[in-house]
This record gives sequence, structure tokens and C-alpha cells, in this order.
Amino acid sequence: MPTLPINLGSYLVNLCSALLLLTCFAIVAQRRLMACVDLFALQSVFLAVTATLVAYLTGIHHIYLAAVLTIAIKAVILPRILKKIVRQLNVQREVSMYVNIPTGLLICGGLVILAFFITQPIVHLGFLLTQDSLAIALAIVLIGFFIMVSRLKAVTQVIGFLVIENGLFLAATAAAYGMPLIVELGIFFDVLVAGLIVGIYTHQIQEAFGSVDTSRLKALKE
Amino acid sequence: MSAIDFLLINLQMVLVLGLSPLIVGVIRRVKAHLQCRHGASVFQPYADLAKLFRKEPVISTTASWIFPATPYILFSSTLAASLLVPTIIAPMPLNFAGNIIALVYLLALGTFFLMLAGLDAGSAFGGMGSSREAIVASLTEPALILSLFAVALTAGSANISAIVYKTAILQGIVLDPPPHLMALVALFIITLAETGRVPVDNPATHLELTMIHEAMILEYSGRYLALVEWAAGMKLMIFLTLLANIFAPWGIATTLSPSALGLGLLVFVGKVVGLAVVVGVFECMFAKLRLFRVTELLGAAFILSLLALVFFYILRV
Repeated sequence: MPTLPINLGSYLVNLCSALLLLTCFAIVAQRRLMACVDLFALQSVFLAVTATLVAYLTGIHHIYLAAVLTIAIKAVILPRILKKIVRQLNVQREVSMYVNIPTGLLICGGLVILAFFITQPIVHLGFLLTQDSLAIALAIVLIGFFIMVSRLKAVTQVIGFLVIENGLFLAATAAAYGMPLIVELGIFFDVLVAGLIVGIYTHQIQEAFGSVDTSRLKALKE
Repeated sequence: MSAIDFLLINLQMVLVLGLSPLIVGVIRRVKAHLQCRHGASVFQPYADLAKLFRKEPVISTTASWIFPATPYILFSSTLAASLLVPTIIAPMPLNFAGNIIALVYLLALGTFFLMLAGLDAGSAFGGMGSSREAIVASLTEPALILSLFAVALTAGSANISAIVYKTAILQGIVLDPPPHLMALVALFIITLAETGRVPVDNPATHLELTMIHEAMILEYSGRYLALVEWAAGMKLMIFLTLLANIFAPWGIATTLSPSALGLGLLVFVGKVVGLAVVVGVFECMFAKLRLFRVTELLGAAFILSLLALVFFYILRV
């Protein structure tokens, strides 16, 4: 049984989830692609810490494995792939976006409030370790969607996709105490493969259009 | 008011007045080290202040009474604000005199007069500095108020002494990390903006394209400049004290025993110097933002402090 008092444990899980949300906002406010990748890696580290805490508090051992995989894949391998892409593309920062940064931040604030209102009726039904991890997880998923639709560059859209994945993983660990191990392994493999494929495709877009601006894909005709 | 209260108030005043140049010196020293320079001693700001107090001030012929009055108003309002923030003991003797609103607007009073003085001297740079300061101040003020209110709600009191006391003994306060974390990050960004630190302003340069605070005080000299500089140091100290004591007040004296006060003093100096080092490191890590990008940074601070409030309300439903 855990030696930590359950109260302190849930505070720590809450704190880590809040840190995850904070890194989301940092990604939304960040223009430099390299810094976005770094922030994603940092977010994955916080996610791994949260998973480790949940594993420790609940005594479910396979979440430890998920935490180790999170560090290995999302905090080391994927950021390396993404950084390699950014270096090859020779694009340092995102100059134009569909929504400017202060408005984007406001919208994300609204999304967080929305996530809280949606999850509010559900939270009381289950016996959760923490009160607001589920809401934060949903907020991270929504912000990930927002990053995907508001950014023009393929690389930041990939980061948005990975942020969504992080949010889902947080929901799975914090609210449902992890999924079956085989499902988790499958998801990690999927994310890794998705990262690789997207890397290759980004390269192809760059080759074909001379830019990774995905809005140019609208010009595709049969 | 008893003699011991009187003593405590004086002690706090001496502490804030005496330590604030040291904090400025520590930040400069940290920056110098990180930039591979040797740097001046951490006690250099004291020598600067002493030198400036001996020099004769020069006043522009176009200046009205506002120009010479501003340094005194700025200095005294900042000092008054500093007496509301607990440093080494949690229930400050003067805690009945004002809450967070009084603190924020005492600081705003000084900023307001400094902006007027920048316009008053009749130089083009002063007006430019004032207009920039107005942008920054109007963006930081709501964020500052909201982040302090978020913390005040968790403690159920708008009195800073009460907030710090309740957090220090961990009683009567809603212990929930997300609102505190959001408010902490927001307050840190505001600290950098309000005290003219690097991502917003650069205290070490007089480059006309970038300066904000330095442009406003460009016309000041002699003892007026000394007072303005000292007040800027005190403002920095107030913000660092807020960061240290609202979010991590542990170690602060909650009783009047000499050992608790001694420990409180040691912990306080340690925390403030530690935060000054963090600010110095931040200044070296980031480049100054373009003026129009400052709104993005301060917008982030505003959103975070708003979220801190929202978190509190939603979680208490």
C-alpha cells in the first residue's frame, strides 16, 4: 500500500496535471518551432511524473511501464525526430497564424472553462484520485485541437496532435487508472509510427511546395 | 499601538530600505557572471545611491512642480506599500491599514506620477517612455489584481497578512495546487514587467528604441535620481517578497519569539536573494521582446490569473 498520505498524493497529481496545462498554454504562446518541440518534451516529462504518481498511489504496476515508455518515446525519440525535421526545413519560427496569439490564449482560456463545465457532472459519479485531472485532460485535448487548427506549419500541427495524445493519456491514467497494457503499448507504437510518417510527409510537402505551410495544400487539384 | 508593534514596523522599514539595493546588486552580479564578465560588487548600488545623494540635481526650465515632487511621492508611496507586505513576521502590525487593493494602487500611484514626470520634463524621450509605460502598466494591472484575488479567494481574505499567515500555518486555506500554480506563474511574469526586467524592458541600457523605465527617468539627476532608483529597487523587493511569501511563506515568524523572528529574517533574506538569482538567470535566458509582442506575454499572464480565479470557482461549486 502507498505510504504517502492519499491527500498529499492527490495534491501532487493535481499539481502535475496543472503543470501539463501550463505547458499547453506555453506552446500556444510560442512562435519558435524548436521551443515548441522542447515544451512538448517537457509536457511529456510532466505526464510521465503524473503517471508514476498514479502508479505509486494506486499500486497498479503496469502504469510504471507506461511512464517509462512516455519518457522514452514522447520526451526523447519524438522530439529528436521533430527537431531533425525543423533543422532540415530551415524554418525557425511561425510568423503568421490563423488566430493571433493573445486571441488564441483567450480562446484557450475559454476552452479550459468549457472543459470544466462539461466534466463537472461526471466527476461526482466516479471515485477519482483527483477532482480536476479529468477536466484538465479534456482541456488539454481541446487545446491540442486548437493548436492543430490555428497553426499553418505542418510541424506545429504535429505538435498539436501529440498534445491531444498527451491529454488522452492523462485522462486514461488519472481518471481510469490506465488502460490494459496491450492497448497502451499499441498506442505508443501508433504515436511513434505516426510521428515517423508525419516526418516523412512533412518532408514531401516541403519538396513539393517549397514550404510546410499546409494552407497551400488547398491548391491541390486532380 | 504597543512599543513592540512600533519596533516591528521600523524593523520592516529598515529591512526593505536596506536590502533593496542589495537585491539590485545581486541581479546585476548574476547577469555579469552568466555573461562571463567579472561584474561590480553586489554592494555597488549602495555606493551609487550615496554618490547620487551628494550630487546637485539639475531641473529642466520647462518642468512644473510635478517634476521635483514625483521622486518623493514615488518613494513614499512605494515605502508605504512595502509596509503592507509581510516580510519576516506574518501578521504585520500595520495590516489593518490596507489590503491587496491598497497595495496595488499605492504602487500604481507611484507609476502614475512617474509617467506624469516623464511628460513634464519636456524631452521627447520622456514622453515616449511614459506612453510605453502606460501600455505596460494598463496590461499588468488587471493581471496583477486577478492573480492576487485568486490567492485571496483561496485564503478567504483580501488582507495580505491574513493570506500569508493562513498559508504559513496551513489552516483556513483551500489547499489546491492548480489555482496557486497559475497565479504564481502570472505573478512572476507581472513581476518582470512591473519592475522593468528583460523580456519587457531592459534596465541596463539607454537605447532609445527599447527603453521604457529608463526613458521616463532620463531627465532626473542627483538626489531625485537616487530616490527614483531606490524606489525602483523597493518595488522589485515588494514583488519578490509577494512571490516568496504568498506562495511559500514557510519559515516566516508567526509568533513574536526572538528565535522565530531570527529564523524568519534568515529565511526571508535567503528566499529573496534566491528569487533575485532566478530573475537574473531569466534575464540572461531571454531576449527583450519587441514592444508589440509584450502584449502577448502580458496577455498570457492575464489569462493565467483569470484561469486561477476560474479554477477556484469551478472547483468549489
